Amino acid sequence: MSGTFNILGVGILTWITFLPILGMIAILAIPSGKDEISRARSLNYFRYITLGITFIQLILTLVVYSGFNFSMPGINDASSMQFIERVTWISVTGLPMLGDLKIEYFLGIDGISMPMLLLTAIVSTLAVFASWGIKKAAKGYFAMYLLLVTGMMGVFVALDFFLFYVFWELMLLPMYFLIGIWGGPRKEYAAIKFFLYTLFGSVFMLLVMIALYFAVGSFNMFDMMDPSKFDQNSILAGFGTSWRYIAFAALFVGFAIKVPIVPFHTWLPDAHVEAPTAISVILAGVLLKMGTYGMIRIAWPMFPDAVQYFNWWIGLIGMVSIVYGALCALAQFSVGKRDLKKMIAYSSVSHMGYVMLGLAALNTEGVIGAIFQMFNHGTITAMLFMIVGVIYDRAHTRSLDDFGGMANKMPVYTAIMTIAFFAAIGLPGLSGFVSEALVFLGAFKTYPVLTVISGLGIILGAGYMLWALQKVFFGKLPERWSGPWDPTGKIYKNDDINYIELGGLVPLAIVVIYLGINPNPVIGMMTSSVNHFVELIRIGGNFAGM
Amino acid sequence: MLIDYSVVLVYLIVGVLFVAAGIVTAALIRPSRPNPRKNSTYESGEEPIGSPWIQFNNRFYIIALAFIIFDVELVMLFPWATAFKEIGWFAFWGMIVFAFILALGLAYDWAKGLLDWEKPNPQIPSLDELVITREQYLDELKKKEQTGN
Amino acid sequence: MYNAVVNELIGSLGLIKPELALLVTFVVVIIADLIFKNNKVNLGLSILGTIVSGIFLIGMSGTNTSAFANLIAVDPFSEFFKYLILISTLIVLVMSEFSEELHNRDVWMGEYYMLVLGMALGMFLLAGATNLIMIYLALETMSMSSYILSGYTKEIKRSSEASLKYVIFGSLSSGIMIYGMSILFGMTGSLDLYAIQSYLAANGFFQPAIFISGLMVIAGFAYKISAVPFHFWTPDVYEGSPITITAYLSVASKAAGFAVLVRFIKLTFFDAAGSSDESWIMMNSIPWDMVLAVLAVATMTLGNIVALWQSNVKRMLAYSSIAHAGYLLMGIVVMTNTGLMSILVYFFFYLLMNFGAFIVVMLFAHKIGSEEMDDYEGIGYQAPVLASLLTLFLVSLTGLPPTAGFIGKLVLFGAVLDSGWYWLAVIGVLNSVVSLYYYAKVVRNMWLRKVDNGKGTLKFSIQSQALVMVLGIPTLVFGLFFGPIMRWAEHSVRIFLGN
Repeated sequence: MSGTFNILGVGILTWITFLPILGMIAILAIPSGKDEISRARSLNYFRYITLGITFIQLILTLVVYSGFNFSMPGINDASSMQFIERVTWISVTGLPMLGDLKIEYFLGIDGISMPMLLLTAIVSTLAVFASWGIKKAAKGYFAMYLLLVTGMMGVFVALDFFLFYVFWELMLLPMYFLIGIWGGPRKEYAAIKFFLYTLFGSVFMLLVMIALYFAVGSFNMFDMMDPSKFDQNSILAGFGTSWRYIAFAALFVGFAIKVPIVPFHTWLPDAHVEAPTAISVILAGVLLKMGTYGMIRIAWPMFPDAVQYFNWWIGLIGMVSIVYGALCALAQFSVGKRDLKKMIAYSSVSHMGYVMLGLAALNTEGVIGAIFQMFNHGTITAMLFMIVGVIYDRAHTRSLDDFGGMANKMPVYTAIMTIAFFAAIGLPGLSGFVSEALVFLGAFKTYPVLTVISGLGIILGAGYMLWALQKVFFGKLPERWSGPWDPTGKIYKNDDINYIELGGLVPLAIVVIYLGINPNPVIGMMTSSVNHFVELIRIGGNFAGM
Repeated sequence: MLIDYSVVLVYLIVGVLFVAAGIVTAALIRPSRPNPRKNSTYESGEEPIGSPWIQFNNRFYIIALAFIIFDVELVMLFPWATAFKEIGWFAFWGMIVFAFILALGLAYDWAKGLLDWEKPNPQIPSLDELVITREQYLDELKKKEQTGN
Repeated sequence: MYNAVVNELIGSLGLIKPELALLVTFVVVIIADLIFKNNKVNLGLSILGTIVSGIFLIGMSGTNTSAFANLIAVDPFSEFFKYLILISTLIVLVMSEFSEELHNRDVWMGEYYMLVLGMALGMFLLAGATNLIMIYLALETMSMSSYILSGYTKEIKRSSEASLKYVIFGSLSSGIMIYGMSILFGMTGSLDLYAIQSYLAANGFFQPAIFISGLMVIAGFAYKISAVPFHFWTPDVYEGSPITITAYLSVASKAAGFAVLVRFIKLTFFDAAGSSDESWIMMNSIPWDMVLAVLAVATMTLGNIVALWQSNVKRMLAYSSIAHAGYLLMGIVVMTNTGLMSILVYFFFYLLMNFGAFIVVMLFAHKIGSEEMDDYEGIGYQAPVLASLLTLFLVSLTGLPPTAGFIGKLVLFGAVLDSGWYWLAVIGVLNSVVSLYYYAKVVRNMWLRKVDNGKGTLKFSIQSQALVMVLGIPTLVFGLFFGPIMRWAEHSVRIFLGN
């Protein structure tokens, strides 16, 4: 058991999770300022505090990475999780009716959560750069932002189901405010749709959580993964019973709404399009991964028999998401306002379909591909949304009708955008290719037909991405953009992308390129955990050799 | 068990029949020769003046309420009085508390002026206020036009 | 011959010290009002009396006996509810001090405090009543005071209308209830719930009669807790009453109603000998659990769905309290002690959330003069502290972590799932999702609209903000550390007299 690394007597994972709360309290304590000068000064405080906190969080995460032992599998074995912190949180003993109610503050990571931790830290820090332009009610924005970061980090490190659920729900309210106050024209609709949809999924998760508690007697995730700990009279005991299938389906729906998979994806275009840039980045970069992380951490190991029952359907869902998401993205070229951000939102649906397909493959290549795809999609889509934000801030329109020939006007921007778009397509040499290739490799062994159909997704992806690239950058520059973006020169000194925006984009580009050439740092983290995971599911679910 | 209630049913029916028989027979047999004097309201031999529907002074209502409460107190006192001797001091102090609370209620009524008898002070409308001259009417109209609009 | 009875009566006097304290305070307040005519003195005396009653209650903890020859039960179950009622009374008394609605008009405040204390006394007796006549008496004491209180600001038409509707509905339901009680009495020959229980256990009885009479008595209680279809008075009365009374009705009156409902059902229709801690044995297979389940589902669903359309915050909170009564009824449906415990835990957190929400709505109504949701636009930026607290209370009412409301729902759904009522739990959680929409409407108006609208900040007195904080901080803290409350509730339920 890898001990934890303590700073001031508190474990490092707790620091990583709760440091943003300290930042939030600091921000709330600073007054917003009454006149122009003090307002500007306070705004700077807010920005730099947020940047500082997320940066420290990134450093701490890298420290954890350096101390991470690649060979310990974790998954369902509490003793091989790393950086464990385990304290009894609520203990109501001696209840003759409920027995002992014990909830623990149980944190720990393994090969599956480590990449997510890194992703969250990186994306959170870089999204602050994208938030640099927020001026309206900035105090609330940065406070909610930090609260959201805490929720996200907490989900990835929690190992007690109750704690997991608290963190999961904790990030709903900040998202509602962040989309609803600083968003686009239909922000209220998008925000409440997101909130209601996600809460609907979460309550099913709550019911299954309570049912599991009564079956096992504690909220500890590892006890729930261990069939020997189940009370044989409870409805969730046994193997392959219909109650277990129902419970798995309920959990799956709860997580699937977050992923999102078709047909639960309708909240995504609205939320992404209406959210401000930085929030779209976080939403696409991290929040979507929480759904699939929940599946891998909770749903799969606890109900391997149900996985075996539903596996083909899961593969089908993955394939449908890939193809349908790509088709919808392609359709953005002919419907509505031809909104670039909406196209990227649908491409997210498509890319998350690859994760589902990789999970359905249930072999090492497939699952590693799936988790790596989660990491890559986080970085790549973060880049894509930041890029759209750059042009939206200047042109105040995202419609493809209005653009053309940007390559001459903004060359550096074109270069970065090209990297992002090609990574999204899955060009070899960039990280997207490695993960998609691994997914296909793994899925072809299990479901060859579904995989072949999913290959369509790659072609369609290349279709809409290249089309968008060509539409925006090549061709003729429309008349209205022929002058400088900002004639007064106050906000945008020159036409091209400025350093703050570059500060958010360049690190992501570096990560994408580096991992395309050498994916070992990330894949190495995952391998032993994924091997153990696949073995656990196959043996636990009595898979007849596939 | 329902059959035990048959007695009640018979009782009900007989009661209704009894009353109905009396009224119906009387209505059928008696002569009907109304005249104004016979139809007028009975007021102990006096001539009735005006409509019998006058506005009651609502002090009657308040007094009636207070009466009910103290009447019920009186009703409670009677059984107490019969058993008082055998129970002893406990009964004595219990009734003192009960009477004290009700006396407190009386004191409250008194202090809040609920026992004051206010004579009604009807305002008989005078004719001078009701009738105004044409000049006064036009003046008022002009004033309203200047200020109201 | 009378000596035994007298000795019993004298001995029982010691058991009702809290009620006696309230009674003495009641009398003292009347006298003080007549002599001093000073509002502050009245308020001070009322609060002092409530605290003294609380001290007596603390001194009596652990008693588990019955007073006045089975008229009232003094056990931990009623003690829990008495604490809830005391805390509610204290909060209402302090809240009334801040209420401009009451002070701006020339209302008689002395009588107001007296009536609140009278209502509290009625609720105390109701929480412990184990005799049909005692139940009726206590219910009427409580109801009479609340009829008057709800119409206290009589110049406002709404208020008088509310009071009239309340009186009419209340009298009707009391009439139905007493009719049911009389049938029950006629069949079993006794008014005492324990005697009725043993009679029903020992002899057979005419099943439809017991069913109908039980249903009628439960209808009377269901009126008090605003269960559907006995809820029609709730929105009008809540909207018309002064907001302090609305808050008091929605928490304390409901608590007392639930206490007597649980006690009546458990003592009359369940076999004491056969029941264990986990499941209660119903006598003669009248499906009380299905009846209550239908009631619970109807209440939850109607409360949540109609609340969606409300534009007045007070009315919305009224419908939301109907919905919460529905959730609480689920706890009785499961017919186990775990279910009862979950009701108690939920009630405690419900007290905090509901009072908090009402107090903030009252404070806002003073400053902006309106209780319509549309007038709340942008108020988050004018009064950030209070608006954040209101957001916290609304989030807690929805049942989102890490607030106390989530813990309440968690324990409730846990009890429901544990007993196998899966479909009921699913309906319950779906209703929670629906409720998010109308709570979020208020939050949306406060924060998402008219951002930084530049209107000046609204100033509120330190005391009123402190009162809201006193309710808000536990809502957050108990969401994270709820052990003590669960232990207290579980203890109260286990030693339920008649178990």
